[in-house]
Amino acid sequence: MTDTTGFALEAAAVGKRFGRRRGSGGWALRDCGFRLPAGRVCAVVGPNGAGKSTLLALAAGLLVPTEGRVTVLGTDPASARARVGFVAQDKPLYPHLTVAETLRMGADLNPRRWDAPTAERIVADGDLGPKTRIRALSGGQRTRVALALALAKRPELLLLDEPMADLDPLARHELMGVLMAQAAQYGTTIVMSSHVVAELEGSCDHLLLIGGGRVRLAGEIDELLEAHVRVSGLAQTSLAPHTVVESRTTGRQLSALIRPAGPLPEGLRTSAPSLEELVLSYLRNPQAPGTTPAEAASESEKATL
Amino acid sequence: MSALRVPGLPRTVLRLHRPALIVWGAFVAALIGWLVWLNTVTSSAGERERAYCDHHETCNILDQLNYGQRTVWVATLVCYSSLAVAAWAGASLIGRELESGTAQLAWTQGVSPARWLAAKLAVPALLTTLGCTALVLAYRRAWSAHPGLRDGDWTSVTTFVARGPATVAYALCALALGALTALLLRRTLPALGVSLAATWALHFALERFREHLWPSVTRVTATEDVWPRHVWQLESGTIEHGHRVAHAGGSPCEGNPAQVKQCADKLDITGYYQVYHPRSHYWPLHLVESGIVLAVAALATVLAFRLLPRRTRAARKESLA
Repeated sequence: MTDTTGFALEAAAVGKRFGRRRGSGGWALRDCGFRLPAGRVCAVVGPNGAGKSTLLALAAGLLVPTEGRVTVLGTDPASARARVGFVAQDKPLYPHLTVAETLRMGADLNPRRWDAPTAERIVADGDLGPKTRIRALSGGQRTRVALALALAKRPELLLLDEPMADLDPLARHELMGVLMAQAAQYGTTIVMSSHVVAELEGSCDHLLLIGGGRVRLAGEIDELLEAHVRVSGLAQTSLAPHTVVESRTTGRQLSALIRPAGPLPEGLRTSAPSLEELVLSYLRNPQAPGTTPAEAASESEKATL
Repeated sequence: MSALRVPGLPRTVLRLHRPALIVWGAFVAALIGWLVWLNTVTSSAGERERAYCDHHETCNILDQLNYGQRTVWVATLVCYSSLAVAAWAGASLIGRELESGTAQLAWTQGVSPARWLAAKLAVPALLTTLGCTALVLAYRRAWSAHPGLRDGDWTSVTTFVARGPATVAYALCALALGALTALLLRRTLPALGVSLAATWALHFALERFREHLWPSVTRVTATEDVWPRHVWQLESGTIEHGHRVAHAGGSPCEGNPAQVKQCADKLDITGYYQVYHPRSHYWPLHLVESGIVLAVAALATVLAFRLLPRRTRAARKESLA
């Protein structure tokens, strides 16, 4: 399943500008660089309008980067089309087709790759009648059909834009299980965006944090968590030379999230941050230095060795 | 459909546009049915009237008029069926897909956008060609069945198109123009409107310039003569001082032959001329027009395919600094 480079998705200095306006306006994504090793389940998190959907659409070959290059499964996104699954945020489906016709369309458009039993099982688990028209389905039911379409083509890379947004907790849990089973069984690389971090914790092993159109943080979640420490101590404690992501002083008490550059000063209480704390700290502090794309790339390389 | 073993992509196009296919099939069948009705029931009543009129001073021509008029209606529907194709192609075939994002659904299956557009154009083109060919053949048969009851000659605007392959050419061109406008505008309703307007404008322009599409015939006579039968009359007039002078409202000299001669001498009229297309020019005129329309269709198709990568394409071949 893995290609020669070992990366499912690579972005090199990718920028995408909408509209022809010059100046700062119009850039949805700027100077975006990262490498995602094959076989990972990657969470793309960031606030609304951060560029998550743009990034996924670039990877799916639906948008052309204004600058830089996107590499998917070792080739360009257009050539990788047959091996990539994509579920857009608004789950576009043909409203006048029935569920069964939609799946038959998937079989017709993905000759040789189509896994009909998988598609039928996912749909049947949601109690969807094959004769039901798509326009009669609820948002969550449409999501299920869209996921069935994307999974049954047996993609090597599965791109999901806010996949779980309109699912009830039960369906969310079940479909996440289906996704993880797929990833485990076929080594599928999954990239899913969300602005709900809790949704991704526990199922993802790689993180891509996007804010303001740039990559703020990229790497294995375990390594990212290990690289950061939550500290608390007296307010006058100097945190230099460590990288401070976020610090807050209440009275004489200091609490901060830092990326240690060496041994920590005496007298600080330390604890491990949760993924949500880490993400929120970066999002609350847009000026906090993130890991640079080069660092992220070298981290990813280390991870693949 | 499955019995025919249509390959996957065309089958999907057929499945997606089944309602349009049914409407188009019903339209073709209804028009052919109407022509059959006109040429069995209405025409026999008209012919009976005509036979009666041949031997009586006063007679009723209502059935004859009905037959002629309704045949013209059919010609109008056949000729302008391309407008319906244009509206559908702009709105339903491509425009709605781009607006609602379902085109992207297709492009993220194992189908490249170029193959998608090719199938989206080829399948409707085939069915449009079949339908229009059936309509043209039926109309030609009906038009020549009862010449005595006809309303209008081969030159009438809609009959001219409906009797030949220009009908097919206009429909194919409408399909291509619809796809092009939809790719340009990416919205259902604007694409519908612009596609319809562009197709209508093409009809309008070619109707205006039709007479110039093939060299006309000029006949010069010493005395004023009536027009030859079944010709497309373009211009007539007199030759005065060796120059042609067009007379739209009839001859400048009227009266008995002696009076006309006297008048002509006074005005120094040396002859009369008529400019027209004989009936034998129908096919040259018709085929040139069809060729122009097909050229526009080809141009629109090429532009649509060249525009498509700007709507969706990955990895521009750019070197990275």
